[in-house]
Amino acid sequence: MQEAQPAYAAASATVDRPLGRAIVITSGKGGVGKTTTTANIGAALAARGASVALIDADVGLRNLDIVMGLESRVRFHLLDVLEEKCSLDEALVRDKRMEKLSLLAAAQTREKEDVDGEQMRALVERLRERFDYVLIDSPAGIEQGFRNAVIGAQHAIIVCTPEVSAVRDADRVVGLLPTDWRPELIINRLRPALVKKGKMLSIEDVDAILRLPLLGVIPDAPEIIIATNRGEPPALDPNSPTGSAYRTIAAKMAGEDVPAPTAAPKRSFFARLFGGL
Amino acid sequence: MVTSGKGGVGKTTTTANLGAALAVRGHRVVLIDADIGLRNLDLVLGVEKRIVFDLVEVLEGRCQLRQALIRDKRFESLSILPAAQTKEKEAVSEEQMRGLVDELAEMCDYVLIDSPAGIEHGFRSAMAGATEAIIVTMPEVSAIRDADRVVGKLIEKDLPIRLIINRVRPEMVRSGDMLSIEDVCEILSGELLGVIPDDEDVIDTTNRGEPLVLDPMNRLGAIFDKIARRLEGELIPFTVLEPPTIFGRFMDMWKAKAG
Repeated sequence: MQEAQPAYAAASATVDRPLGRAIVITSGKGGVGKTTTTANIGAALAARGASVALIDADVGLRNLDIVMGLESRVRFHLLDVLEEKCSLDEALVRDKRMEKLSLLAAAQTREKEDVDGEQMRALVERLRERFDYVLIDSPAGIEQGFRNAVIGAQHAIIVCTPEVSAVRDADRVVGLLPTDWRPELIINRLRPALVKKGKMLSIEDVDAILRLPLLGVIPDAPEIIIATNRGEPPALDPNSPTGSAYRTIAAKMAGEDVPAPTAAPKRSFFARLFGGL
Repeated sequence: MVTSGKGGVGKTTTTANLGAALAVRGHRVVLIDADIGLRNLDLVLGVEKRIVFDLVEVLEGRCQLRQALIRDKRFESLSILPAAQTKEKEAVSEEQMRGLVDELAEMCDYVLIDSPAGIEHGFRSAMAGATEAIIVTMPEVSAIRDADRVVGKLIEKDLPIRLIINRVRPEMVRSGDMLSIEDVCEILSGELLGVIPDDEDVIDTTNRGEPLVLDPMNRLGAIFDKIARRLEGELIPFTVLEPPTIFGRFMDMWKAKAG
């Protein structure tokens, strides 16, 4: 990855720098942590010096602005840009803490059907010219909003919790992504104590079903709820265990050699469920 | 209709447990999984291996409605109509859903429609046949914001709204790290139907496909029994939790918008 420039300087650059990576963060099931993951990976990548644009593709139900603590700074949104009511620069909200991190908020009072797929693809392309990473926060489900989120991306990160319903939905989503992609998996909200008791799927259980390269494992922690409510991504807190997990993921995405997440004890209790998937 | 805007707040778990609680109380209940393409209600009830036909096949006339309904083995009067897993939500029109729900409403006392997350086509289909709505939400700003958006959509359709606040951690409400019940009710202005504490048993019972109401000793089972009775019209008081402190910025935002 090249040394990133500040976003405002990159605006004038055109063919001189390689295009950034556009990655969609998706899951099928809602509430598994897509938005939190997008915010924290974005913050962790920016903290490493990369320029990062976050796109909230959940038109009508935006939340990435809240998780980033930027809700009061949003003036224009994605659809304003697509409909040329403002420039891309006017719509990008610079993060309070890191100048290399920017947010493009979703429209709150519009519908996902208002977004034109081809325009979305062109917008992501424009952002790739200026940023090292373009992270697209997909809405839950597999409807129009999901398709819009995927259309401009070249890579997908699947977020999944160790629950049968989340794993089933994740499996369905992988089947809807372009066949030449190799999506990577983040297992979120793992509770090792519950896994040990046989009350939660283990990393191996999830892997046995999804068979995706594992990008990272995030432990369950109440601090995430607090951080979301306060608008402060834990990835920037050096003392936070979840923050450390997000920083490890960012390091891995940047090409660093990172040891595989530690495995929890294997349980075969959930064998009956695999058949149902 | 059981809906939320945000995903993962517990719509499906609530639908299954409320359905079971109503069935235990002697009502005839049908649960419809309206999350076409991402069905999960069958897993939560543990009937995933007994699915022969689904909702889309009923609507396409490939089978009789009665053939597609799966009767729960534990509760005689509880049935589920599963969603199609390999179809798109666009396969079902609002008109078709309305007809189907009307037909089921003639056969039973309660039809609970488990809505998909979001406010897209699947949500609108789920809403089409409903005569009232239960919003499941969590005391988190993002969940409340999404629920607030859904409230607007439901009001447009004149659907009465009731609230179930899920995954409440009383100690976090007390420490000011979580919105209080009073805050949530004030923002969403719906009638409170139930408050469900966060409980790790839910993950386990969901993985096993067993509704919580099956276990008379389970505190969540008792809560769903209360919710079922409130739905019948019984007045049951709530336990009060302490008010929070750090949510000024959001309360201002919402109140400004409401005013």
